[in-house]
Amino acid sequence: MNILKKIQLPTGILTWITLIAGVWLVFNVPDDFQQGGAVKILYIHVPSAKMALLSYLVVTVASILHLWKRSETADILAEAATSVGAAFTAMTLASGSIWGKPMWGTWWAWDARLTSMLVLLILFKGLMVLRHSLDDPVKGARATAILAIIGAVDLPIIHYSVVWWRTLHQPPSLSAGSNAGIHIAGPLLTPLLILTVAFMLLTLYMTTVKARQIEARRRLDALETARMHADE
Amino acid sequence: MTPHPPSSDPSPVVVLENAQHRYGRHQVLQGIDLTVSPGECAVLYGANGSGKSTLLALLSTRYTLREGRYLLDGIDVRQEPHEARARLLFIGHHTHLYGHLTPLENLQFFTSLRTIPTTDQQLRHVINTVGLNKAVDKPVQWFSAGMRKRLALARLLLAHPKLLLLDEPYSALDTQGVGWLNAMLTTFLHNGGSLIMASHDPERVAALPHRPWQLARGRLHPISNAQESEAC
Amino acid sequence: MLIQAIYRIAWKDVVGDLRRRATLSSMLFFAISVLVVFQAAFEPDRQEALRLLPGLLWATTLFTTLVGLGRVFQAEEEDGAFEGLLLASVPRGVIFFGKWLGNLLLTLLVELLILPLILVLFNVDAWKHVPAILAILALGTLGLTGLGTLLAAMTRGARSRETLLALLLLPLTAPMLIAGVQAIAGILQADGIVAPWIKLLTIFDLVYLALAPWAFGWLVEE
Repeated sequence: MNILKKIQLPTGILTWITLIAGVWLVFNVPDDFQQGGAVKILYIHVPSAKMALLSYLVVTVASILHLWKRSETADILAEAATSVGAAFTAMTLASGSIWGKPMWGTWWAWDARLTSMLVLLILFKGLMVLRHSLDDPVKGARATAILAIIGAVDLPIIHYSVVWWRTLHQPPSLSAGSNAGIHIAGPLLTPLLILTVAFMLLTLYMTTVKARQIEARRRLDALETARMHADE
Repeated sequence: MTPHPPSSDPSPVVVLENAQHRYGRHQVLQGIDLTVSPGECAVLYGANGSGKSTLLALLSTRYTLREGRYLLDGIDVRQEPHEARARLLFIGHHTHLYGHLTPLENLQFFTSLRTIPTTDQQLRHVINTVGLNKAVDKPVQWFSAGMRKRLALARLLLAHPKLLLLDEPYSALDTQGVGWLNAMLTTFLHNGGSLIMASHDPERVAALPHRPWQLARGRLHPISNAQESEAC
Repeated sequence: MLIQAIYRIAWKDVVGDLRRRATLSSMLFFAISVLVVFQAAFEPDRQEALRLLPGLLWATTLFTTLVGLGRVFQAEEEDGAFEGLLLASVPRGVIFFGKWLGNLLLTLLVELLILPLILVLFNVDAWKHVPAILAILALGTLGLTGLGTLLAAMTRGARSRETLLALLLLPLTAPMLIAGVQAIAGILQADGIVAPWIKLLTIFDLVYLALAPWAFGWLVEE
């Protein structure tokens, strides 16, 4: 936990620098000839989606570590990454919708990516609710870790089942919309790379702050329990 | 200290060495050493929250031992938990009975989960022995607390465990029931079984030859019979 | 011996349920209310009803399963019975399969009753497809109840557990729902595609029936 305290401030500063540089670049590159100004939201959408999935990966690895080594640090990391991942998933869905309206003509399409993201959001929510619905925090942590692993197995199945569904079942007019996906090339790529780095730093920063907050909360709870026992 | 009967088999049934148990951040048991020989009865005294139930849960394999060593009848419980479970019987505050099943069905369920081959005739005989012959076909939900306790203890006659663990066995039993239970336990000890029980009732335990132990703040100490009358 | 233990646990749950007439009848009447809601909400004519049939069937099955799953571990709450199960000298996976089998049998029984009910209430003439539809329902139900039984164990003792169970189960069953609906739709059409959906249902079943007993063992470890 000490290392988190040390890295928090430098990560925060680096996050701001890269974010400002990235956003400045985004508004100083020419618009895409096909997609116009609407393409700019992809600079938020694409890194958000990556960070949502990265956060789920962190949750899964931390959950395995928690079950295997009984490490409380891993559990705190899993809890922190769950909140951060949920935020990025919501951001991905919102930005995707805003981009979809001018591009596809609809706010929403049931393609494999959006559907999987929606399921991911529900899954993150489920992880948060499950942890706090069990009175015993030790059992709550254990159940949540197992659910995270099951979710990690389920997500690819969901993705491929939706892909199959669209290819085998839907009339081509609709699926063509989702295939006219996301193309970014040439000079437009540099700001995307910088923003991806910025979002990675942001994820690290948010997870750090959240993890420290959870740690403090648990320490307070432990003190409270000890005080209650002393009164007895 | 009451002398315990000498036995032909000198190897102990229970060897617990330096057992620790933590729950979350709370150290419940530390450095527990306990050895129980065939035919020996150990009685654990301790106030609420002293770790009595936790120690019984560890011994019963309900909690997994993570630090320390636990040999049951020569079997390393951490390596072969199923083998160990087949050699012990735990009867606690709960009777583990299903209200919608009859005594016969409850015992059938118990023996099949322990893979003990029995016939219905044997089961009926056991039910008669514990004095429930009139209620053999009634669902257990209509039974009184004392009747349920008798049925729970009937398992002892089917499972033939090496180790019997009892948590407050005298509660819910009347004077006659206490005498009946002590007779049953004496036979069990005489046949070379080992018994560990948690109690706060030195008077009722007095009828059995036993060795008293005191649990306090997660540590286990042997005590003398003089101290026993004050312990609870 | 282990098979016998699985059978005993399942037997105990099914017999208990039949004696108390608890879960089975609640599931059935819940399913009927769901059908009434669908009828009032969509008012399908015969043609539409035929198109909606796969979805209606799976949606009703899914909601009804939730009712059953809410009660899978109810019998084990009584007088420390769950603790007794865990102290049995059989592997924890065996205990899981026992609980799963009990729930599976009750759910299959309800499905067997729901299907003719839907065909009658919605005036759909698909009687010649009944065996095939039931086979697909059963195939999906294997994995559905496997995942469901695990989640029911996970939410044991949770606050507002029925809502939580729905929140956790519904998104994870998306592949089963898609495959199940498409497979039945394929059967109802003359030239429908069925095989890939059966494959997907089988994958779903295998993944959960392999994963769930293992996860159950971790879950109950203390």
